Amino acid sequence: MAEKELKVGIGDMKFARGDSRIITYALGSCIGITFYDPLIKLGALLHVMLPNRVDPNDPKVFKYADSGIRETVRKLTAFGMMKNRTIVKIAGGAKMFEMKGGSDFGNIGQRNAAMVKKILMEERLRISAEDTGGGYARTMLIDVSNGDVVIRTVGKPEKHL
Amino acid sequence: MRLKRYEDMNLQDLDVMKEISSIGTSHAATALSKLLSKEIRITIPEVSILGYEEAVDRIGEIEELVTATLVTMSNEVNGLMLFIFKMDLANVVLEKLIGKQYESFMELDELAYSALEEIGNIIICSYVNAFTQLVGVEIDLSVPSSTVNMLGGVLTVPIAEYGYETDKLMYINAEFIVDGQKLSDGLLMLPDIQSLNSILEKLGVS
Repeated sequence: MAEKELKVGIGDMKFARGDSRIITYALGSCIGITFYDPLIKLGALLHVMLPNRVDPNDPKVFKYADSGIRETVRKLTAFGMMKNRTIVKIAGGAKMFEMKGGSDFGNIGQRNAAMVKKILMEERLRISAEDTGGGYARTMLIDVSNGDVVIRTVGKPEKHL
Repeated sequence: MRLKRYEDMNLQDLDVMKEISSIGTSHAATALSKLLSKEIRITIPEVSILGYEEAVDRIGEIEELVTATLVTMSNEVNGLMLFIFKMDLANVVLEKLIGKQYESFMELDELAYSALEEIGNIIICSYVNAFTQLVGVEIDLSVPSSTVNMLGGVLTVPIAEYGYETDKLMYINAEFIVDGQKLSDGLLMLPDIQSLNSILEKLGVS
């Protein structure tokens, strides 16, 4: 079986149907969001970096949680995704550096996670599993043939979300 | 402001940054050399403005484990400094300081971790000190913070921090030469855009 593997860069989104795997590497404070409609085997992986798009003319829609999620949902809906069937999983939002002295530097991960949850709720999409926070980077992979989502971190066994 | 993004820097701006950086990194090499009581030479650094993926490729592998030390800058220049250790440079330092080498960063004990953090901090501080003297600006540095993490994850920190201003990083790459062995460092200096403009202005490029 010829499986293809699609790689999603920072601030990007890829989707596929059937026998494919979609992967994004080393999510730090960024968030990876997988969307999967099991009936039509349609899956997507979105990698957002920041909470909200401030400049409405900024063409990089997938860089931000708000515009990224909305655009992904719009695209997938056009390909037949039904929201009530869709399984959504999220990972990332880590705090890579613990700053001494209580500086709020590096809290972007937390803000990203909060925004992702808010927008998904507005879009009426339920998060069925998540692996967020902590202080380590994660690689996230979705197998579009069965919707399996795998999280890889250094020094820990692989985790199925 | 003349520059709105890192990528607006022209060849002259980059040349000026390279000049300054070469003095900064040689100060850093001197500091390291004193600490390790070893002769350390350093190559002329390259200053490049890179996107996230280019920066990852230049430094190593995206999932490769690295130790990184981060210091934030404030006062007349705001921004952050990041020093990335790969295993080869880390082992030279650790061998000399605590007489031990490590297979991987996963095995670092508390002592080795603190030693690397301190070295990262010394390299950053000596670089920034040289920089402040040359440019004539006051820079306050935070206490260092370190992490052992995937390279790709570490580099998302500056990318996200300045994500509303730019998608690029300023990477200062020089090679330390210790006992004839070339060891690559990864120093990133990321002033915010306003600070970058005032630095270049102070240096008479505008």
